[in-house]
Amino acid sequence: MTVAGNPGETVTSTCPTCGFRGIIRFEEMRRTTAPLVHLEQLTKTFGSFTAVDHITLTIHKGEIFGLLGPNGSGKTTTIKMLCGLQRPTSGSASVLGKPIHTKAVMQQIGYMPQETALYSDNTVHENLEFFAGIYGLSKERFRTQEERLLGFVNLEQWRDSLVSTLSGGMRHRLSLACALLHEPQVVFLDEPTVGVDPELRVRFWEFFNTLSQQGVTVVITTHYMDEADRCTRVGLLRQGVLIAEGNPHDLRRTTGTASLEEAYLRLAGRQSA
Amino acid sequence: MTLRRTLAFTKRSLLQFRHDRRTFAFIIVMPLLMILIFGYTFGGDVQGVKVALINQDKGIQSILLPGNPMPPGLFLAENITASLDPITLSLHNFTDPAEARHQVDDGTLWAAIIFPDNFSENFFTSLSHPEYAIHPSIEVYLDGSNPTIASTVLRTLSEAIQETMKTVARWLNISQTNASLVVEPVYAYGGGSTRFIDYFAPGVISFAIMMVTTMITIILFVNERRTGTLQRLLVSPAKEHEIVLGYSLAFATIGLLQSIVVLSAALLIFNISIVGSLPLALLVVMLIGVGHQGLGILLSAGARNEMQAIQFVPLILFPSILLAGLFWPIESIPSYLQPLCYIIPLRYGIDAERSIMLRGWGVGQVWMDIVVLLVFAMLTITGSIFLLKRKK
Repeated sequence: MTVAGNPGETVTSTCPTCGFRGIIRFEEMRRTTAPLVHLEQLTKTFGSFTAVDHITLTIHKGEIFGLLGPNGSGKTTTIKMLCGLQRPTSGSASVLGKPIHTKAVMQQIGYMPQETALYSDNTVHENLEFFAGIYGLSKERFRTQEERLLGFVNLEQWRDSLVSTLSGGMRHRLSLACALLHEPQVVFLDEPTVGVDPELRVRFWEFFNTLSQQGVTVVITTHYMDEADRCTRVGLLRQGVLIAEGNPHDLRRTTGTASLEEAYLRLAGRQSA
Repeated sequence: MTLRRTLAFTKRSLLQFRHDRRTFAFIIVMPLLMILIFGYTFGGDVQGVKVALINQDKGIQSILLPGNPMPPGLFLAENITASLDPITLSLHNFTDPAEARHQVDDGTLWAAIIFPDNFSENFFTSLSHPEYAIHPSIEVYLDGSNPTIASTVLRTLSEAIQETMKTVARWLNISQTNASLVVEPVYAYGGGSTRFIDYFAPGVISFAIMMVTTMITIILFVNERRTGTLQRLLVSPAKEHEIVLGYSLAFATIGLLQSIVVLSAALLIFNISIVGSLPLALLVVMLIGVGHQGLGILLSAGARNEMQAIQFVPLILFPSILLAGLFWPIESIPSYLQPLCYIIPLRYGIDAERSIMLRGWGVGQVWMDIVVLLVFAMLTITGSIFLLKRKK
């Protein structure tokens, strides 16, 4: 079901299948005009293997852009190139209008690697404090950010616990908090929901939506097709090639499928045919 | 570079050790154990100790003496020097005693053995006319900072004297000479009271900081890579040199703490004697730490996990123990292996620490060691900064 409305408008709507009545308030129109991340024929080869194959793509401010594809389709390599962790073999990419690999851009980027990437012999607080030091947060700003983020990821009572004593899910939450501490304009989240329980996943996505509403651009890789439905736009990757891009709704419609998963399979079939 | 970012690394890693009590205990206890276990006795066969020989002995005409199968003229000092073990001592002939003493002072030589001009005469006079009792004496000007070497020099000399006395007794056809030969050791450093523990303490401090820093850095950086934190850092405003220097500061702090603990223990338990400048000694310790931290980062590139990191232990441990002069003086190492000793950076650290603590030398005398350590630190630190940059 799709409901349309203008910013500031409140719409009352009834679901045609279950009859559930709800009030929808349109907070703000997503500004999707400013290109924040741009990839131009971006390519990465490892020997004779092409991990990322001439991807051209533009991601706008405030989008939740999902890079979607099975394992080994080039999602992580693309993210790593965008973060400056790997050099492109050919092609180029820019983040916030600047070429990648510039340290000036790094201050505006948040990155959550696939690995939890925390110091397990330090406490939750010490990890956050360390990253605050790296990003040059003032003491006051760190204090408010720590409180806000720990509240969000629900780790307040674990503030002084060693990371090594936390459960996998908690570490994931802390890892996300570390990536967001300096309030970046763009966050790159590499499979942020792998190994995360369904309840927490829902919370993560709620938070991504909040971020996007605040104008933060979120770039996510995932191989969960159901999650990809929550993105404002997705890019489907297969063997390093961007086979389709668009909002999930349009992709389903143009392929005449009921789910993104089917849409992906149909598009993939078309590509190999 | 911002100091704040650099210090963030220092603070985090130091806090890590506060939580990881066992690793922290290792840092402190390992050197303590070493000094306790090895602290009492240890010694190897010393070879090729550089010694000056000043033979001013004018000798004596044998006609003046009663007895038979003797050479016409007698030069007792020559007999003694000929009996000195040529493997243990590497003899260098000098004519000027002042020059020889000077070379002992500046560390070129370990000792100067000086025979006075009336040595043979006094010996035979005291033999035939004990009532005159002018005892023939040999002066040994000795660097006592290394007790193993000092005692080796004195022992070798007394063996040569005994050997010569047997020959003289045979010539004179008597069972034993009753003339007392006096060996007068004059100590340039150490005053003869230098015990092995005094000699050992500066070495242990240098060695402990080297081992701890190298090993912990390797593991720290292997973990940074394996857990993905390094990737996170590379996608941050932190510059590579801030990462490396931040950790350097942490290790310099640890090295300082470690040296203070070991030195206090050595002072309190073993009552070791330190004659030199303590701040200079601590500065050298920190320099050893920083250089080996760089080495640790470089080596960490060759290890994918902690298991592989551990495999570096013998690689670093054995050359340092065997070749850097930690237990045995470099003179006790076979001469064909000795050039290897001089490519081990720790050797210069140990040398500097000993010279500072036992001889009381200052920057003016240990500058060579400090320069080598500085160059080593600069090479490994720049190397590791480049390594981190390349890792992208």
